Amino acid sequence: MSTNFEKHYQKVIDEKDLEQLRDVLVSKDSELANRFRALFNLKCVAEAFEKDPEDANKAVQFIAETFVDDSELLKHEVAYVLGQTKNMTSCPILRKVMLDAEQQPMVRHEAAEALGALGDLDSLDDLKTVLEKDPHPAVQQTAELAIGRINWAHSAKAEEEQLQESLYSSTDPAPPLALDKDYKIAELQKLLTDQSKPMFDRYRAMFRLRDIGTNESIYALATGFDDPSALFKHEIAYVFGQMGNPAAVPRLVEVLARMEEAPMVRHEAAEALGAIATPDVVPVLKMYLNDPVDVVRESAIVALDMYEYENSNELEYAPPTAAN
Amino acid sequence: MSDDEQHTFETADAGSSATFPMQCSALRKNGFVVIKGRPCKIVDMSTSKTGKHGHAKVHLVAIDIFTQKKLEDLSPSTHNMEVPVVKRTEFQLLDIDDGFLSLMTMDGETKDDVRAPEGELGETMQAAFDEGKDLMVTIISAMGEEAAISFKETARAD
Repeated sequence: MSTNFEKHYQKVIDEKDLEQLRDVLVSKDSELANRFRALFNLKCVAEAFEKDPEDANKAVQFIAETFVDDSELLKHEVAYVLGQTKNMTSCPILRKVMLDAEQQPMVRHEAAEALGALGDLDSLDDLKTVLEKDPHPAVQQTAELAIGRINWAHSAKAEEEQLQESLYSSTDPAPPLALDKDYKIAELQKLLTDQSKPMFDRYRAMFRLRDIGTNESIYALATGFDDPSALFKHEIAYVFGQMGNPAAVPRLVEVLARMEEAPMVRHEAAEALGAIATPDVVPVLKMYLNDPVDVVRESAIVALDMYEYENSNELEYAPPTAAN
Repeated sequence: MSDDEQHTFETADAGSSATFPMQCSALRKNGFVVIKGRPCKIVDMSTSKTGKHGHAKVHLVAIDIFTQKKLEDLSPSTHNMEVPVVKRTEFQLLDIDDGFLSLMTMDGETKDDVRAPEGELGETMQAAFDEGKDLMVTIISAMGEEAAISFKETARAD
């Protein structure tokens, strides 16, 4: 059966081979939004390593070529994507980036998170080094979480725990709290905001609240925006982008407007607004197209493009065929 | 169908909802869904690849269960879509009169508001009825609409 939607879908995928996607991704002359679209298309190839290992590993190498770019936002997304592929050929690349003091903090943070998402035991020593020596608190905390996730993933708990099946295709920095206990939202909120508890446990409460998915759980999650940790706040914003619930918009708008807030938090708030994609986010995001902070300004561009995609008749988040 | 009859039908169906929400990602091929206000059967489903937040879009191709018209929709996989409550009921056919079926319900009431089917189904039903056969007709109902979709001959009880 061939419908208009499917024709469009095939046109985009068939006409873009791996090299073309690489060219869009690595070229500084490409529109930033298209570089992001190309990145997520390459991700689909990189994660299909069981079907076609040769192309998958080629896609990983192409994606990794972006680490010489200047854009902190793009490179952090590249690290994120590699962490989501489950393709272990990404690990040595990510370890190198994580330990490279020349890479910006968000890039190092995302490389550490990616190694956690991949559950890479061989990275535990390097993650411990980062936990002790990286000068940036968000990177240190990410290393702590990644160590927690790797240990969890290789423990009996990963097999035994009953987890709610996620609506989203992401590997998260921590699994949601297991289903065998029936938590009240207030209990989860208490654990979420309890700064005396390990970050890994607080994240588990966060993802359980995400998976509950009600407005009440949104309000509970939003109390996390008063936390001192930039890493923690950025994850709340990310989760709101996943949930796609317009009830989160007012708090995200408020967080994006905090000019003194850490760039990673404002960046994630902007992209979450693009993913929620209600019409009221457009004028808000447009206000930040000239933001003095690079990652915030670039996030506004990417978020407005995400809004376009979410509200379009395009099936795939792919670069337009004419773009290069 | 007159306004009076329409009204009677809706009253009779009051209390049970015509549709219920279901997350788009939980829909399945051969299941039902409401597209552009019409109750449809899903004949094809494809899911997009995902971006940063793991959102997928779902492309649905479906057939209107009453008009057989093809309809399409594109929805985020996490959004709710309405699913029509589709009921199939068998009735004994009493008569075919002026383009309408005369049917007998399980309670022994007569029901005269369903149109006789058109096309081949209508012709074979009319022919079987004219031969004096006892027929059971299956009526599909959804969102306040009804239609005959099949019939079969019953063995005479006496």
